Amino acid sequence: MRAGWLLPLAVAVGASRLPGQTFHTAGAASVVTARVRTEQLGGAAQFSGAAFGAGGTLSLGRFQLGLSYLQGRLDPDTGSAHARDLIEGAVLVGFRPVEWLTLSVGPHARAYAASGQTQRWLFWELRVRAAKPFIGSTVQGYAELWRAVAADANVPEPFDHAQGGEAGMIVRLARAPFEGRLGYRIDHAVLGGGTRLETVDGVVIGVGLAWR
Amino acid sequence: MWVGVLACALGSTPSRVRAQSSDSVLVAGMRAYKNLEFDLAALLLRRRVAQLTAAKAPVADRTQGLVYLGAAELFRGRRDSAVAVFRRLVLLDPRFRPDRLVFPPEVTGLFEGVRLRTKTVAIVVPRDTVIPLQDGAFRAWLVASSFQTVSVTLLYENGTSFRPLYFGPIGDSLELQWDGRDAAGQPVPVDRLLLRVASRAPTGELTSMLQLALDLQISSPDTVPWPAPPADSELRPERAAGGSATRALLGGLLLSAAVVSLPVAVGSHDTPSGPRVAVASAVGVATALGYLLHRPSRPLPANIRANDAVRDAWQRRVTTLQAENARRRADVRLRVHAGDPAAIEAAGP
Repeated sequence: MRAGWLLPLAVAVGASRLPGQTFHTAGAASVVTARVRTEQLGGAAQFSGAAFGAGGTLSLGRFQLGLSYLQGRLDPDTGSAHARDLIEGAVLVGFRPVEWLTLSVGPHARAYAASGQTQRWLFWELRVRAAKPFIGSTVQGYAELWRAVAADANVPEPFDHAQGGEAGMIVRLARAPFEGRLGYRIDHAVLGGGTRLETVDGVVIGVGLAWR
Repeated sequence: MWVGVLACALGSTPSRVRAQSSDSVLVAGMRAYKNLEFDLAALLLRRRVAQLTAAKAPVADRTQGLVYLGAAELFRGRRDSAVAVFRRLVLLDPRFRPDRLVFPPEVTGLFEGVRLRTKTVAIVVPRDTVIPLQDGAFRAWLVASSFQTVSVTLLYENGTSFRPLYFGPIGDSLELQWDGRDAAGQPVPVDRLLLRVASRAPTGELTSMLQLALDLQISSPDTVPWPAPPADSELRPERAAGGSATRALLGGLLLSAAVVSLPVAVGSHDTPSGPRVAVASAVGVATALGYLLHRPSRPLPANIRANDAVRDAWQRRVTTLQAENARRRADVRLRVHAGDPAAIEAAGP
């Protein structure tokens, strides 16, 4: 199934570069107030903390390549569990069929490391992102939804499904390449037929630099 | 011989041949005068002068015939006839003087006497004149036969006075000027006037009147039309439309709703609302601010400045054209076409 939708994208990416197209790069640093909640039949555990990340995109015409990395420390909100580190990374290849819409696909990895044990998650995600200015050309709103088409996690329960999203706004300065970002994101994974729920959400505050 | 010449002069040949023959008549008359054949000279010259007068021949030709005719009459012993001929000669051309190398003192003396007693003037004007009404003048030159008093008047065609130009003595000559206006200083309101010169003897007696017609035409350059004021299509809107505000409002509400409902959209039903409400609130504040900044009918200073520049440019063009039109309106010219002077009966002023 994966090859089925990857093929048109590959064809599109393989199309020759159009004359006059140039590369555009953008980078951003962000802080995320992350909260991780794990619900199992035996109870629920919740961790929260701040994570810091960085990311960037490289665009050529309608295509783009996005990279992101996030790392932070999460402390338990309840119980006596140990604090753990959160590490995330993603590589996404995207295509913009229209100016305000981006379709992207790629791996998204997440790891929780605590007391010598590391819990690893790997999602293969299909993302849809819509972005459009709504206050002049200064403030752009965006909403993004993704769904995991495949996943691998070293947890006992079998993977069922996972999906997530992010919505917020980006403020761009008219005469400078800087931009600020405020959003809310959430990932929700279901494993073992609903016996285990993993939810990660948080507020994203970022500062970016984009050469347009 | 002279019988043949006379036959030619009196014959009814075609006009061209007759003209050549007539010149021969004049020459024959002058030759007869020089041969002291004064009767023949008087006969030939009188007929030739009559022909020239009837044909309105050039003054020089007529004066040539008249002076020989007057001299011939004098030497025929007809002094009164000679005086009458010389008077005609003075009236025809007040500037004429007999050549003292050709005519003896008896002739020139008689002529001078007649000239001094005959009060008349010649009017010398250019055939066509164009004068600017603002500061120009139409000039006429009066040449007097002898010292006299003249009154020069411009008349309407019906003979009523339009504007007196001069009244007073004239010795040899006099230059007259007319500014193209009436006595009140207004441009001439008619297209034809008569320039009349009345000569008077020292006793005040009217001796002669000369008149010529002046055809008048006032011309003024067309003014330049003003440029049309800037069209609406050239101007930018000076007040904001409601589209931006509506888009900010609807976009903000939609985005806030998306933020708040995101957990439900991804299937998570037990998520604290604090973070997303905070983000949604921030979006709401930005929305309110955006709505205020893009509220309908707010002034758009950049567009107002751009429109002012367009209007100022138009106003400058209008000012320039106003000055140009004022210059053109002031540049009114009077074209004067002068007719031929004609003596009229002394029944006028």
